[in-house]
Amino acid sequence: MENTINPRLTVSDFVALTNQTLEYAYPSVEVEGEVAGFKVNQGKYVFFDLKDSGASIGCFMTVWQLRQPIEDGMKIIVTATPKLTQWGKFSLTVRALRPSGEGSLKKSFELLKAKLDKEGLFTPERKRLLPVLPQHIAVISSIQAAGYADFIKILGDRWGGLKVDVAQVQVQGTDAPDQIIRALKYFNAQEVLPEIIVIIRGGGSADDLSAFNDELLVREIATSRVPTLVGVGHETDESLADLAADVRAATPSNAAQIIVPDRHEIIRTVRYKAQSVLPRTLQAIEAIHTQVQSNLGRILEAVEDQYQQSDAQLKQLRDVLAQLDPSVVLRRGYALIRGEQTVGSHIEIETHRAIIGAKVEHYDKK
Amino acid sequence: MTKNNPKTIQEKIAALDELVAWFDSDEFTLETALSKFKEAEELAEEIEKDLSSLKNEIEVVKQKFDQA
Repeated sequence: MENTINPRLTVSDFVALTNQTLEYAYPSVEVEGEVAGFKVNQGKYVFFDLKDSGASIGCFMTVWQLRQPIEDGMKIIVTATPKLTQWGKFSLTVRALRPSGEGSLKKSFELLKAKLDKEGLFTPERKRLLPVLPQHIAVISSIQAAGYADFIKILGDRWGGLKVDVAQVQVQGTDAPDQIIRALKYFNAQEVLPEIIVIIRGGGSADDLSAFNDELLVREIATSRVPTLVGVGHETDESLADLAADVRAATPSNAAQIIVPDRHEIIRTVRYKAQSVLPRTLQAIEAIHTQVQSNLGRILEAVEDQYQQSDAQLKQLRDVLAQLDPSVVLRRGYALIRGEQTVGSHIEIETHRAIIGAKVEHYDKK
Repeated sequence: MTKNNPKTIQEKIAALDELVAWFDSDEFTLETALSKFKEAEELAEEIEKDLSSLKNEIEVVKQKFDQA
């Protein structure tokens, strides 16, 4: 007699029912394990096994979903849907994966870095200069993140009058790269383009920051029409997004410092400039004062010279006059005779000490 | 920035630089220096006021990015 309690299904129906059940029970699972037997078929389909010490499961995905390179031996976390194939093989259909653990993250980073570097995505020739004193910038970040708060605070402290459009996105986790890509596309499609697109995120573990090593995101940054500035993590963190950006900031705060100058510093400079003209004016006044003093000195000197010269001449004349004074001659013993100098005439003789009356007794010519 | 003077901060800084350069140029005369100095001081004050009062206008865009 047939058992009517258990439904009788075709193989296809059974597989379909199993998949329905799996989909209901596990619409999405995250599984962590080590990659083994990694291969790409026809350049489109990716196959590998995910294993640990106790079990192994086959995984399938397309190359377009493979956003970070993997290879055998790497530890990864896959986001997947379990599925029973029509050949009865149980596998995971992977939607996304990310390296897990420091070693795998580093390995994946190095693999993708080498690949993109070979394509020239990081060459210095591709880098554009950021505009000086932009008036309109776009920011892609999580507005709840500390890094965003630091950025906005430093930006406001340093400068004002900026129009800042902010795209709220996740900055870690599986969805982060796609959200950042969409935000990049959004800003690049605006009628009035921002002058800079800034992508910021504060510090975190290597796993937290791994979103910024996503291949598609790195390519989107590299092809952005608007110049990009990426400030992710701390100074020592390096992401591929940093390398693809036009300018890399060490931290979100540093990103703000790169974009705008410090208004306090400018105020100090402006004050200094305005005051710097005063010494120049005083110097000019001093120069004129010195010149006037010098000219006055020369005039005084000339007058003095003239005076000295005249005084000397006067003295000389006085000396001459003094020599001509008759009393001086008399003092030297000479006498002055007045009256007719003929024999018998009465004459007057003046000496230094007396005036003497006398009569001329004889007169001989020399 | 005032309504009466539509110059941007950069333009004002450039004007101040020009004024300062005048003091070192051959055009310098003591007769004009005082008025130029006053002008430079006023400009510096205006720039300081402008810089101190400016605020950034931050707007979170309405567009959602969590779905394709």
